[in-house]
Order: sequence, then C-alpha cells, then structure tokens
Amino acid sequence: MFVLPGEPLEPATLPSHSTIPLKLGPGLLHIPPNTITPTVAGLLRTDKRKNAVWVEFNGGRYVPTTGDLVIATIQRSSVDVFYASISDYTPNATLPQLSFEGATKKTRPQLAFGALVYSRVSLANKHMDPELECVSSSTGKSEGLGPLTGGLVFNISLGMSRRLMLAKPGEQGGLVILDELGEQGAAFEIAVGRNGRVWVDSKSLKGTLAIGKAIQDIDEKSLKVDEQKKLARKVAREI
Amino acid sequence: MPREVEPSLNEKQFFVKALEENLRIDGRAFDQYRELDLEFGDELGVTDVRLGKTRIHTHITAEVTTPFPDRPFDGLFTITSELSPMTSPFFEPNRPSTTEILLSRLLEKTLRRSGALDTESLCLIAGQKCWSIRADVHVLSHDGNLVDAACIGVLAALQHFRKPDTSTEGESVTVYTLAEREPVPLSLLHFPYCVTFSYYSSTVEEGETVTLLDATLLEEQLREGSATIGINRHGEVCQIAKLGGVPLDAVAFLGCVQIALVKVKEISVFVSKRLEEEAKKRDKGGLMAELSAENDRVS
Repeated sequence: MFVLPGEPLEPATLPSHSTIPLKLGPGLLHIPPNTITPTVAGLLRTDKRKNAVWVEFNGGRYVPTTGDLVIATIQRSSVDVFYASISDYTPNATLPQLSFEGATKKTRPQLAFGALVYSRVSLANKHMDPELECVSSSTGKSEGLGPLTGGLVFNISLGMSRRLMLAKPGEQGGLVILDELGEQGAAFEIAVGRNGRVWVDSKSLKGTLAIGKAIQDIDEKSLKVDEQKKLARKVAREI
Repeated sequence: MPREVEPSLNEKQFFVKALEENLRIDGRAFDQYRELDLEFGDELGVTDVRLGKTRIHTHITAEVTTPFPDRPFDGLFTITSELSPMTSPFFEPNRPSTTEILLSRLLEKTLRRSGALDTESLCLIAGQKCWSIRADVHVLSHDGNLVDAACIGVLAALQHFRKPDTSTEGESVTVYTLAEREPVPLSLLHFPYCVTFSYYSSTVEEGETVTLLDATLLEEQLREGSATIGINRHGEVCQIAKLGGVPLDAVAFLGCVQIALVKVKEISVFVSKRLEEEAKKRDKGGLMAELSAENDRVS
C-alpha cells in the first residue's frame, strides 16, 4: 500500500499480534495516544511474525542504525582505533583495532588509507559518531566480516541495498539477479552494505564489472523479474 | 572546508588492472564519449546538457549597457560558472575551488578569447550603448569532464538565444519587445568545442601512456595529467591547456589534436541536429520565415 506523509493509517492496515507489542520501523511516527502516521511517502510494509510495520522508501542519505552491515572506507588510524567513513561528507565512524577476529595487540590488522571493511554498526546514536565492529561480540568469530581485498565497490541506492539484503529477495523484493547468476554457474563474491555500497569480486575483471553494472542497471532502470533473468543470462554468457 | 572524497584502495587497484587489460570501469572504449544529451528550455538561450551523469544548465541573458571606454565598438560577453554545494558538499558557495577556477578559465579561453561571439555586432551606439551578453553556467551534477560539457552547453545556448531587435535613429535606440518584433540570433563566427584528454603513465608499462577521453569523476581523480584542446570543426586550434602532469611525446600530442578534431566534428553535427529539431518544434505553422526581420546573408 502506498502512503503519503501525514495521512492517517487505518488500524486494519497494521498487523496485530496477541503477545508481541507493535514495532514501528523507519518512516512512521507515533502520536500519543493512538495515532500512527507516515512521515515519508513510500510503500507500507508489514511483518506479521515480528509484528512490525515500516515504510519502504528510497531515501537519499544513509543513517546508521545498530546492527546494520555496512561497507566502510578506512580514512586514518590512531593508537587503538581506525576512523572509517560510512557515507561521504559525514563524520567518520570509529572501528576499534581489536574488534577483528583473533586480533590481539600484536596481531591486529594493518589497514591503509582507502581500504574497505565489511563491518557491523555496533553503536549508533543521534549525537555521537557511530561505532563499527568486524567481529561478533558473543561468539568472537568474524561471521564474514572483515577487510575486503580486491574486487570493486559500486554505489547503489539505499532501497536497492535493502532489497539485496532481504532473506528471500526473489519473493519479497522481486529481485532474482543473484539467484539467476548462481544458477547460470557464474562464480563471484558479493558483499552488500546498507549504506548503498555493494562490493563484487570474481575471477576476471570483466566479470566483476558486468555483475556490478547489472546490479546498478536493475537499480536505476527498476527492471522487472523477467528482464533481470534476461540480463543475468547475458552477464553469465559474457563471463 | 571539507576534503574531497578520494577513491578507495580497491577502486584504485581495480582501475590500474583494468587499464592493463584495456578496460574502463564503465565499459567504454578509451576514445569513446558517454551518451550526450542536449535539451532546450522553454525560454530562448536555456540549455541542459547531460554527458553521462554530468549535468550542466546554461542560461544566456542580454541587457543594454555602456561599453568599456577603451573598446567603444565592442559589446560585452561574460561567462560566469558556478559549482554550488548541490553538486557536491565539497564545493562551498562564494569560495571558488580549483575545479571552478579551471572551468571558468578554460571556457573564457576557448569561447571568449577565440572570438566565437562577434562582439562588434553587439555595439548599438559607439562608446555609449552596447549589448552585454552573459552566460551563466550552473553545474547540477558532477561526474567528470565538466569543461567539455560546459563548452557544449554554452555554445548550444548561444546558438539558441535570440536578442531583442533594435533600431537606431541618431542618438536614440529603440529595443523592441518580443511581441513587437521577432528577436534576432547572435552573430557567431565559429564554434570551438573542448576535448579533454586524461593521461595515465605510471599505471602501465615503462614508457607507455594511456590516453582516455571523457573521463568520469573517478578517472579524473586518478589521472596523472590532462590536456584540454579547444578546436573548431575546421581544425583550427583555439587553445591548448596542459597544466603540469606527465610529460608527453610531441608526436603523440599531435595525434591527440587529430582525435579532438574527429570528436568535435561529431559534437558539432549532434548540436546542429538538436538545434534544427528544436527550431522545427518552435516554428509553429511555418511562421518563422515571415516573422524574421533578418536579411538573407550574401556570402
């Protein structure tokens, strides 16, 4: 359902759950006692299982939120932290040098200016610089996070990066390019950052460029499922 | 002042490796321009040029002023360029960045000092009244190669613009409104366009230089030298700007001029085609020929 800012939401459009309280996501405002109104124009999405509701919109600037996976660029390092940029022209986030898998004072990674890291936002506060981590604090494992070497990073819209990170992008977001490429037998590595960056690496430079370009094209031209399948076959043939 | 965002290490390494395999990040050939698009505004003298993701808006205005005392027979022609923070937060208002200074200098050299616009035709009464033509260049989106795009924008806008018709009787000048008389086009003597070359030397084998045309922002940030050649379609070079950077072989540089000539011919054909389409769109019912106050040129 498409909603406009300020428009009152019918209670019927919101999910209801017997035990879990209703969770409001981005783009919604609660006016006590019981009015919920959108603050942006977009598509109203609901999740019955989690009893959550949010507005899906393609906003411009990325706002860090705890738990988001982002691709950050190292700007400089100090005694015990790296300063990394999540989005351009915003204050740098801090990434402790010891928050990598198996990092100790002697074996911490040496990251140069401009290196890319796939990391999780561990602290996001409106009035403080965000903090990042490359290791799970509970298990001590990297869980796929860490420095990204080789490959190329592409800029995509924030909506596209959310679509790419859905659990089932084909069913929930109408995005089949990655599954289709996999079916065609194209071997590649991909890391999607919530901050509108996607990192792609494959055996050949041509393959990396073709896959990245395909993702950007789907984003910019908002291609439908069958068009994506056609594009994926073309890309797989090129590689 | 915020620092310009630099490309990441991965992008730098990938770009170098791609150049060695004769690839560009956007998949173009080394001497290929991005898709060029030229739109005209509702008003005369307004153009919107898109070169890939670079977008430039140009607006031409004319007013009557007094000429400079040392050049009583010449009208005025000024080009002002603006890179606003809308383009990128890196640009600050009222504080020109190097990019902006270079852009305005190169436009000045190519268009004004080469005499593209016949300023003598702008004179109304010698030493007292003349037309002042002003070109405002607004960069709306910056993805490299501003100079080439801005040059196309200004020249297309100058060709699209019509100044109000005037008549002079002794010491008095009458400026007719658009309703009274059909406005007249500016007198342009030639059409010099800019072609910018980017050079990369240390990225490839010893003694070899890779030359790219129409560099994107990423390619501009990584280049080791650049040269802008202003040339018209008859092959007359109006200006060459090579500000530092890697040294170049003279013969190779002459080759660049030849490439520039080919590109400028393509651009000229494109711009005149778009201007013709636009003129057809404006010429409702074929009245333009009857309304025109211009005499056919005898040449």
